[in-house]
Amino acid sequence: SEMSKDMMPGPYPRTPEERAAAAKKYNMRVEDYQPYPDDGLGYGDYPMLPNKSQYERDPWYQWDQPDMRHNWGEPMHWDFDMYIRNRVDTSPTVVPWHTMSKHFLLFLSIMLIMFGLGEIYPSYRPVGPKQYPFNDLYLERGGDPNKKPPAVIHYEI
Amino acid sequence: MGAHLGRRYLWDAEAEPDPLHMPSFPAQLGLPARQPRVMVASASQLSDARVPLEQRDFCGHHLLRLLRCQRDNFPVPWGCHALRHAWDSCQHEDYVMRMKEFERERRLRLRQQRLRRR
Repeated sequence: SEMSKDMMPGPYPRTPEERAAAAKKYNMRVEDYQPYPDDGLGYGDYPMLPNKSQYERDPWYQWDQPDMRHNWGEPMHWDFDMYIRNRVDTSPTVVPWHTMSKHFLLFLSIMLIMFGLGEIYPSYRPVGPKQYPFNDLYLERGGDPNKKPPAVIHYEI
Repeated sequence: MGAHLGRRYLWDAEAEPDPLHMPSFPAQLGLPARQPRVMVASASQLSDARVPLEQRDFCGHHLLRLLRCQRDNFPVPWGCHALRHAWDSCQHEDYVMRMKEFERERRLRLRQQRLRRR
């Protein structure tokens, strides 16, 4: 389907008539139409829609395109390809954000403190160290065969 | 299990042995007739069998016999229970000796404290 030149986005609307024409072009009501602020970023008269992903739309409504949750002729967000259901999801969390962060930080801090305490005060069995023969395995552990190893004798008890 | 940790970290660290610096007393103190431990298997035998270093202890001869029996009986897993028991009981005796070493260290430390206070 060919799009004529007047269906494409144009420059930022300055007069109320230009705003009405742009709203009609994008299939929106004049009250709802709100372009991006004109700060030279190049949005033109494209409407600024709420930054909500397609996940937040009603899954049970009979959309024209069910996978996109989008109706024919509905104005698409500037970042529509980002807000599809395979990508970014802006659904609200089940638990408020501050509760989630508090729980997570509490857990993390408690775990770090406990691991730190375990490093400072290690736990061990009430036994002496294991005794090895041949001067505590001097040669097997890479000792120099030409030097005399330190003599280590283990006794029975 | 844990009483020694409580004594060491919350009570008196002087009276509890430090397992990283053991033994801190001469070996013959209080036990004049102590015999040195005898190593039966030789270092070359253990290295030929490629035994891991942690297992090259004073029970190495039992382990070598057990490994040879397991290699001979493979893939059948039974048949070496007696040798396995011999190795396990040697390891158990070794662990009991470690416990006794710890206790000896502890009693000598307490004795040292008593002597200092006198």
